[in-house]
Amino acid sequence: MTEEARSDTPFGLIVPERMGSAVLGIAAELGGMGVLAAQLVRRMLPPKIDRYELTRNLYKMGNKSVGIVASTALFVGGIVVIQAAPLVVRFSATAIIGWAAGFAMLREVAPLLIALMFSGRVGANNTAELGTMVVTDQLDALRALAIDPLSYLILPRVIAMITMLFALNIVGDLTAIIGAIISANALLDVDFSLFMDSFLEMIDAWDFMQSVIKSIGFGLMISITSCYFGLTVKGGAPGVGRAVNSAVVAAAIGVFVMDYFSTYILK
Amino acid sequence: MILLRNVSLRLKGAWVLRNVSLEVPPNNVFALIGPGASGKSVLFKVMTGLLKPDRGEVFIDGQSIAGLNDVEMAPIRAKIGMLFQNYALFDHMTVYENIAFPLRRLFNLPEEQIEQIVAERLQRVSLPGFQDRYPPQLSGGQKKRVGIARATAQRAPIVLYDEPTAGLDPVNSQKIYDLVRDEQRAQGTCAVVISSDVGGLLTVADHVAMLHRGELLFAGTTAHAQRSGIAAVNQFVHGLTEGPL
Amino acid sequence: MTIQAQPLTQHHDLEDPVHEDDRPRTLVQTMTAPLSAFGQDMYGLWTLLRQTVQAILQGRVDRESTFAQLYSIGNGSVLFITVTMIVLGMILVVQAGMQTQRVLPELSLLGANIIQLLAREFAPTVCAMMLATRVGAGIAAEIGSMVVTDQVDALRMSGAQPVDYLVVPRLIAGVLMTLALSFWSLFIALMAGTFAANTQFDLNISTFVNFSFVNMGDYIVMTLKAIAYGAAIPIVSSQRGLTTFGGSEGVGWATTNAVVHSSIAIILLDLILSVFGYIAFPPV
Repeated sequence: MTEEARSDTPFGLIVPERMGSAVLGIAAELGGMGVLAAQLVRRMLPPKIDRYELTRNLYKMGNKSVGIVASTALFVGGIVVIQAAPLVVRFSATAIIGWAAGFAMLREVAPLLIALMFSGRVGANNTAELGTMVVTDQLDALRALAIDPLSYLILPRVIAMITMLFALNIVGDLTAIIGAIISANALLDVDFSLFMDSFLEMIDAWDFMQSVIKSIGFGLMISITSCYFGLTVKGGAPGVGRAVNSAVVAAAIGVFVMDYFSTYILK
Repeated sequence: MILLRNVSLRLKGAWVLRNVSLEVPPNNVFALIGPGASGKSVLFKVMTGLLKPDRGEVFIDGQSIAGLNDVEMAPIRAKIGMLFQNYALFDHMTVYENIAFPLRRLFNLPEEQIEQIVAERLQRVSLPGFQDRYPPQLSGGQKKRVGIARATAQRAPIVLYDEPTAGLDPVNSQKIYDLVRDEQRAQGTCAVVISSDVGGLLTVADHVAMLHRGELLFAGTTAHAQRSGIAAVNQFVHGLTEGPL
Repeated sequence: MTIQAQPLTQHHDLEDPVHEDDRPRTLVQTMTAPLSAFGQDMYGLWTLLRQTVQAILQGRVDRESTFAQLYSIGNGSVLFITVTMIVLGMILVVQAGMQTQRVLPELSLLGANIIQLLAREFAPTVCAMMLATRVGAGIAAEIGSMVVTDQVDALRMSGAQPVDYLVVPRLIAGVLMTLALSFWSLFIALMAGTFAANTQFDLNISTFVNFSFVNMGDYIVMTLKAIAYGAAIPIVSSQRGLTTFGGSEGVGWATTNAVVHSSIAIILLDLILSVFGYIAFPPV
């Protein structure tokens, strides 16, 4: 759209140049997020958190998402059963549908899905809010009043997001299991007790804990990414839009990478 | 030319236009003034069919526009050129494309003719050679002028200007008002202008209508308005701080 | 010519600006309000879909905008989707493999089962969820900004219909690109999964890449899902964009809602099409 600067690099080096700058860009962003995280940790000891801000954010982020998370998880529970069905039928093992569905649900599907929806809803909104505050100089106004924006504004949001994702994940886990039970009954004629038998036999507390630990990790990733891109907005209102887009994409990739490594760490 | 009869409109629960009856004659510069949020821009949207009134009727050139959808409105909109308050230029198109867009959609003009019209319009608003620029590259004043070029390119019998001088310095403001009047005299159009800069506007306007909280307080000639006995009108027209407003 | 305007009179026939929200409601109204709002929303989406498809069938397609959208949706998302599917492909194989090892002695059928799962569910749905995030937000933000800066009104004044000019290109591009990217996702996830199976479980490529369980029905379900998702994302996001109000804050809300509601739509469509696939093309 805008005129592109005539590049002086020779033709053969254009691709490596773009790749190089992309890598540098990503490295800069990761570094920036790390710095933000470290600064927040420093402000946690000793913890001085504005209680009003914390409660306000907890309410805003959690309350409105419960309905969406619950209904989504319900449907996803059904989908997992439908997809696992061919496998258990093939091995004539309908009795273990409880375990098959429950395992996939708790370990992978629920934490990932809920984290992505959370990122799209709460994370994006948070980035937009912070970005707009930056663009309208509200952060500078806070500093002029000798209020540290990081501990007053950001820390409550990060804590609220992690807490809420944790809570929503639990809600989601439970509703997803309900959805799985319903569809196992409808599609495979597996009744409630049969489902629960295999579920409780093969799934232990550790599987559930994995879901919880993942949600905390994802919460951390999403909140840091969301706040980072919100705080570093440049370029007015279109810049806020770009920041939201970058935040959501970065959070998604970060969540997936984290999920990959957690597969090995949490065995 | 434009006739509103008992028009009332409600937006989000509040009445923003209350029982407005107004007739805008052809071939004149018609000023529409009033304090902020009195319903002036909304009135423009009602006149162009972008908003439908909850009560009352709107006639453009004798034809009622009630119940017409966007497709049916097209020939009527061909008779109206409009400058929006935020100029509403299409960010993803060049200046040339922006001005050419309504010409292509509303009329089937050959490309050479469109080129000529665009060049002539840009010349008229003192932006020669700007065809290939994009709106984000222009200053506020330049965007306003491109908007005026687009609004007047159609040679439409009615031209609506919503705040053509907002944010401009006094010299440029007066230039814009003079441009509006010269265009109107040259084309014999009905030019309706909204502005908060009452002083500047009234130097070129033939008729004035004043809105306040969605109600029409006054409609008549400029001379009449400046001598008006209605307190609110008097205060606003002369820019006084004391009075009902 | 002069018109005597009415002086400020008492307008008895117009109510005072009492906002509609303050009017007392009956209990029934209060309880059914969210449902009726939901119903109205669904009707709005359905109307937009109908109008857009009508416009396409009547040939009112702007070629240039459509190509621009194809590029923006497709090229813009390829990298993101590729990275995501590589990671997810590997996770899927490792997790499934570890669990299968608890019950079965050997993993020779792991590949075959996973590929079918990828085709029916994983590739189209995950790809669409990612697109909903990126593309949905972009569409809502673009159209929303146009609404609040009066550009959509300017379009109508210039004789162009917002549905034809804005939504049609995005719908066409959405469907085509989601279809293409779904198949690309399948390919990428398969490659990554094969790599993981090889390094993690010492399965060689020919054992793992086993298409014997995948039949025409699986591809049909995958295609149907991709088309459905590819239509849902632009329609929902455009609708959220077109109904923006309230300045830049409104655009923010439109963007957020577009992403979340597109994602929900995808999951609903996934459920419906998965059930359909299970009944119409039962597992081999």
